[in-house]
Amino acid sequence: MPEAPVLAQLDLEIRGLRKRYGGFVAVDGVSLKIAKGQFVCLLGPSGCGKTTTLRCIAGLEEPDDGDILIGGREVTGDPPWQRDIAMMFQDFALFPHMTVGKQVGFGLEMLKRPKPEITKRVTEVLRAFEIDRFADRKPASLSGGQRQRVALARAMITEPRLLLLDEPIGALDYALREAVMIELKMLQRRSGISFIWVTHDQNEAFSLGDHVVVMNHARIEQQGTPEEILQRPRSPFVAGFVQGNNVFHGNVARIAGDAALIATPFGEFAVPLRDTVPLLGAIASFSVRAERLRPMPPEPGCNHLTLTCRTIEYFGSIRRYILERGDGEVMKLDQFGAEPACLIPGEVATVGWRAEDGVLHEGAPS
Amino acid sequence: MSTIRARSPAAYWLALPAALWMIGAVVVPVLLILWVSFWGGRAFSPASPLTFDNYARFFGNRTYLALIGQTLLHAATLMAICGVLGYCIAYFLMVKLRNAPLRTALFLAFIIPFWTSALIRAIAWVPFLGVNGVINRALLALGITDAPVEIFLYSRTGISMAQVSLYTLMASGPVVYMLAQIAPALREAAMTLKAPPGVVFRRVIFPLTLPGVVIGQVLVFLNVMADFATVQTIGGNKIALLSNLILNFYEGAQLRAAAVVSVILMACMLIGVVAAMRVVDIRKLGG
Repeated sequence: MPEAPVLAQLDLEIRGLRKRYGGFVAVDGVSLKIAKGQFVCLLGPSGCGKTTTLRCIAGLEEPDDGDILIGGREVTGDPPWQRDIAMMFQDFALFPHMTVGKQVGFGLEMLKRPKPEITKRVTEVLRAFEIDRFADRKPASLSGGQRQRVALARAMITEPRLLLLDEPIGALDYALREAVMIELKMLQRRSGISFIWVTHDQNEAFSLGDHVVVMNHARIEQQGTPEEILQRPRSPFVAGFVQGNNVFHGNVARIAGDAALIATPFGEFAVPLRDTVPLLGAIASFSVRAERLRPMPPEPGCNHLTLTCRTIEYFGSIRRYILERGDGEVMKLDQFGAEPACLIPGEVATVGWRAEDGVLHEGAPS
Repeated sequence: MSTIRARSPAAYWLALPAALWMIGAVVVPVLLILWVSFWGGRAFSPASPLTFDNYARFFGNRTYLALIGQTLLHAATLMAICGVLGYCIAYFLMVKLRNAPLRTALFLAFIIPFWTSALIRAIAWVPFLGVNGVINRALLALGITDAPVEIFLYSRTGISMAQVSLYTLMASGPVVYMLAQIAPALREAAMTLKAPPGVVFRRVIFPLTLPGVVIGQVLVFLNVMADFATVQTIGGNKIALLSNLILNFYEGAQLRAAAVVSVILMACMLIGVVAAMRVVDIRKLGG
């Protein structure tokens, strides 16, 4: 097979994965390639198929169609215990009857490693995860953060090719999450194990993922680096789902050079064309990020509209103005938090953005 | 987690009616039986001197001693059969069966017979087990046997068959409860840690259901030890176990001997329960 060396570079490849439960299509033609040692986040609203995709990779669900290759080896029909993976569950799924030490050594025991080696490795790993104090305790007597460490140690001790994480910090206190995220990111870098992290929280996905896969209605909407997804959303769904975008729906009124003029209920706006030129009159949508918007007098090369400032949200690093557009939707305008406020609630203002900052979406809006 | 809180005065008052009832209906009668078992002399009266003679007479008789052994052996057999059957039924219902309506239907089919009184169910076995009973006719009709099998009725086999049907639910129920407590993710976590299904069962599922198994074993043990009705109806007068020895002594107006056997039976049961509770803390059954 000439392509074998190329495949071996991939930790995971999924081709045309499909899974349905009765009449409900959970995963509809998902394809994905994960290079060695990547941190991948599957992001999407609940019911979008991200967890089902993860469970298919683990072998906990049998796909109706499609192929799954782990490290270049076809595993589609293999049971979970024959795949080179480990998984961390949302509520950690610790064995309540086993001590932390026994629990963490379970994977090595299953691999039939010699007893002295298991003891040695468990001691090392418990120390590395700073849970050696709890070696003889059972999970019920541990805190959420401690359980999370035990679950992670248990999953990583066998050094699998892939670590699958299903909302792994969703069960933790909010205050603990950020610290755990940084730790996990560093752990992933050190270990070189590919992480596939399922979450509905975009902060998690964008701060952790090298590669983010946005899913909706059983399909992948867009995948790429966090920057690509945040700055260049491909669909109105992605633009609306990730924070900080203002989405406009309308029709293509005119093509002028490398820009399209989109007619919306709020006026005509120029948006740079993407790879394909849309048909005149076609339904189109575009988005512009909140930080690209600013109060400005009309000037050429820019788009503007007049809006009423409703409220201001202050986050420290940014100040966000919530502006009423008149169709029940609001628009967001972000300003650096250190600068003096440029609008006050109740103020009617003309805001605008440079035409090149608009992002035209591909395909019909959903 | 079971939490044992310090009891408030109100808790004691709430427990009072039940406590009074238990004292009157159980504790005092048991103490009376214990007292009677030590009565000596010829007259059956509270004025009797207290002696160990009744016990000495019982333990001096090899037939009676053997009967204790046979009763315990019989109970152990029933515990084993009901334990295995009950576990299999519970596992099938709770784990293998994915179809919820079918599970409910089978569950009801399993439970509804137990709404009938134990005595009626014991008696209902007689037409099944007899020489001209349903089982024998079926065996003859199918050509499996040439002549009716006589070991069904009035035999230990028949008693065991009836008791298995009577007590399997007791072994099964606590296991069903324990299985229902096990999060499906535990099984999946074990599988992703490279454990094949057999190992998942042995290392994760079975240990987590062990309290249910033990509780079920205790229930079967106590019921089999105390069950004189089934032994009497299906065993006729041919088979004696400790429980119906009490009845025989009672009917023969040998009240002191009946008291002695009662005390021994209760002691056996108490030892069994204490032993089981050393294995599993019943208070943890709440999860």
